[in-house]
Amino acid sequence: MNGTRGVPLSQLPSLQLQMGSMSGKSMHEFEDESLASPMAFPSERPQHRSIAVQELNFENLKRRLIKNLKIVIFTERINILMPCGPAAIIVNHLTAHHGWVFMLSLLGIIPLAERLGFATEQLVFFTGPTVGGLLNATFGNATELIISIFALENGMIRIVQQSLLGSILSNMLLVLGCAFFAGGLVFNNKEQVFDKSAAVVNSGLLLMGVMGLLSPAVLYYTHTELHFGKSELALSRFTSFIMLVVYASYIFYQLKNQKASYDHENEGGNQNEESGDDEAPEISKWEAIIWLAIFTGWIAVLSEYLVNAIEGASIALRIPIAFISVILLPIVGNAAEHASAIMFAMKDKLDISLGVAIGSSTQITMFGIPFCVIIGWIMGTPMDLNFQLFETATLFITVIVVAFMLQDGTSNYFKGLMLILCYLIVAASFYVHVDPQSVGVPPGE
Amino acid sequence: MKVDSDGTMEEMDDDFEVEMATLVSSSPASMKTHITGIWGIGSMVDLSSSCSLNRIVRRLLKSIGIVIFQPKINLLLPFGPLAIIFHYLVRKHGFVFFFSLIGIIPLAERLGYLTEQLAFYTGPTVGGLLNATFGNATEMIISLYALQNGMIRVVQQSLLGSILSNMLLVLGCAFFSGGIVHYNKNQVFNKAAAVVNSGLLLMAVMGLMFPTVLHYTHSEVQYGKSEVSLSRFSSCVMLVAYAGYLFFQLRSHHKLYNPINEEEGNNEDDSDEEEVPEITQREAIAWLAVLTVWVSILSGYLVDAIQGASESLNLPVAFISVVLLPIVGNAAEHASAIMFAMKNKLDITLGVAIGSSTQISMFVIPFCVVVGWMMGKDMDLNFQLFETATLFITVLVVAFMLQEGTVNYFKGLMLILCYLIVAASFYVHVDPSANDG
Repeated sequence: MNGTRGVPLSQLPSLQLQMGSMSGKSMHEFEDESLASPMAFPSERPQHRSIAVQELNFENLKRRLIKNLKIVIFTERINILMPCGPAAIIVNHLTAHHGWVFMLSLLGIIPLAERLGFATEQLVFFTGPTVGGLLNATFGNATELIISIFALENGMIRIVQQSLLGSILSNMLLVLGCAFFAGGLVFNNKEQVFDKSAAVVNSGLLLMGVMGLLSPAVLYYTHTELHFGKSELALSRFTSFIMLVVYASYIFYQLKNQKASYDHENEGGNQNEESGDDEAPEISKWEAIIWLAIFTGWIAVLSEYLVNAIEGASIALRIPIAFISVILLPIVGNAAEHASAIMFAMKDKLDISLGVAIGSSTQITMFGIPFCVIIGWIMGTPMDLNFQLFETATLFITVIVVAFMLQDGTSNYFKGLMLILCYLIVAASFYVHVDPQSVGVPPGE
Repeated sequence: MKVDSDGTMEEMDDDFEVEMATLVSSSPASMKTHITGIWGIGSMVDLSSSCSLNRIVRRLLKSIGIVIFQPKINLLLPFGPLAIIFHYLVRKHGFVFFFSLIGIIPLAERLGYLTEQLAFYTGPTVGGLLNATFGNATEMIISLYALQNGMIRVVQQSLLGSILSNMLLVLGCAFFSGGIVHYNKNQVFNKAAAVVNSGLLLMAVMGLMFPTVLHYTHSEVQYGKSEVSLSRFSSCVMLVAYAGYLFFQLRSHHKLYNPINEEEGNNEDDSDEEEVPEITQREAIAWLAVLTVWVSILSGYLVDAIQGASESLNLPVAFISVVLLPIVGNAAEHASAIMFAMKNKLDITLGVAIGSSTQISMFVIPFCVVVGWMMGKDMDLNFQLFETATLFITVLVVAFMLQEGTVNYFKGLMLILCYLIVAASFYVHVDPSANDG
């Protein structure tokens, strides 16, 4: 940190805190400072200009940082929820009230997840469509992945499985349903259409994911494995590899297609693309990368508190753990995607909504879950693809229902209503569902 | 036999005699003299009584004439009273069961006819609602009786069987006969409506699957009780979905359901206009009430006789509930679906068959759960693993067949043969939990 080179001491602490700390209190303080003394900086500028080139650069840096903070943190109203994060940490250390810690960390993660998406978008402007697509593919569900990795570390395999499953279900039913419903209400005199082929490819991938999950589960439950308990673990790991390969090829295929369609659209002067280009990147490349790192780190910290508080919250709030993992966690993790999908549907850009909702489901199924299995393998945790009969059956019927709804390429409010009501039924089933085998048992069981 | 004072009565008379002629060939001579005897009385009354009473009686007779004596199927009507007589005199449950079954067929058909007639007066919206409710009145009445007797499995199986028979047998026969009559071309139908219906059926399967799987993986919070609460909640959700579907179909998107019919819409309209309502609104309502009561009475005997019939006929109760009961309950819809398919009006056929399935799965089944809730019976959506799996695979097969928008006789044949497989499976199926109240 080059903070000592001729910079007035009064400004040093704020910079140090700003640059590297993970503590939320620093953000608080900076917030206060910038709100309290916006006029302080300009008056000191003439002094700096006379001193050195490095100081000039540093001054610009400072100004850019302030501008950055304003764009990244203070523009969005959702960021009001940001203090919940630090509050969760405080509550965790002061009281041992897991219910509060859980809810506060949940609320605290929402804005972070949303800003992570924003930072990823911004970075995409600089990296071009290829790497951008890859970035979206990886960071799109970073929140779920981070939460899952933490849970894996604690050996809470069922929670990982259930939260990933819940994320898929919520994306496919709730987010998609709300988008169709909202779009259908706004455009109730016509049927909205979307690109069938993309939807069909995604449905195919989802079905393949279900197949990957079914085999270990059914093998286990018919007691027809070669080595009871071990074979399906080995099968799960092998299947995960295959699913990752499929996902990689899917990304490749998608990017190739996108390039082709970009060329077509640029010739045709597509409005969407032009309006996208009009949205010039708001922050520079390095700033985007730094913010990406900061948000990822912040989410990691809050996730740890979240995961540690799940069991206590389940007891304190008197909700089954299955319900928390499958319904509550994903609704929060997907809150930002939810809002954007609805917004795009109301603007009659259903393809983007679908891309957000179904694309996210596909990502989790074909990338998130196998990735967790592999990570578990590396960690030595027996994470497998056997999601237990009830959860697997739920996923199966849901994928079929959604694939069916999507296959004719049109949408109306009733389809949306059906999907939302299906989600209600799913949520209700998980409310009365208890795992026959207990959660949170350390690995080696 | 002609009555001179009223011209219309003459025409009516002619139709009557034609109808009577067709019936005469198979009915005993006594019936003919009996009917002409009534007409004789009618003419007497006309001459001697006051005008209004005269008109009422004449209208009543005309009404009876139209409603009861016109369709040939009403030959089966006497089986109803016969069943009751058998019940009290002979105590042979097998016969009681069969006779009441056969006796219900014409009543169900007449109920459908009356609902149609009433729809002329109430307009398409309320008419649609009427069709939606009374369309499966027979199944509902039988189910409510069985529910009252605590025969929950019979209710579940008969409703399931009704869905299966509508989706496979009725639809298959319609496609098959339509395909044979129009074998040189592929018949088309309006895909959009079929897709919405398939979506609803899948949603219903989802609603049925969850309580079943929950129960079978022993993963409920409170074993046995949670899935009943879940069933009740899901039933309410399904009823909301059905209400939304009615709204969607009748109000906001009704043009979605028209396209294929528009070329033939002229035919439709003409034939509709020719088919002026045959009976007045009040008569329709009165007959509706009469027939509903009649159906209820027979259902009571039917339901009481199931258990005994199963023993004396050597058939599993499951087979009786899933295969026999629905075939009878749906006989009228069956006939009309085949007829419309042969006239190349596939949309109406689909409306009858798949619409009926959707109605039962999204309205009657949740309705029975809610009514059971009010009665204090533990009716739930856990249809047991075998039945639920059967429903699931059937819905998938049918949804797949329909998604293209065309049919031919081979699709019909496939559906009929699927139904044979299903029926055979239920012939050798015994309920692990015999729950006859």
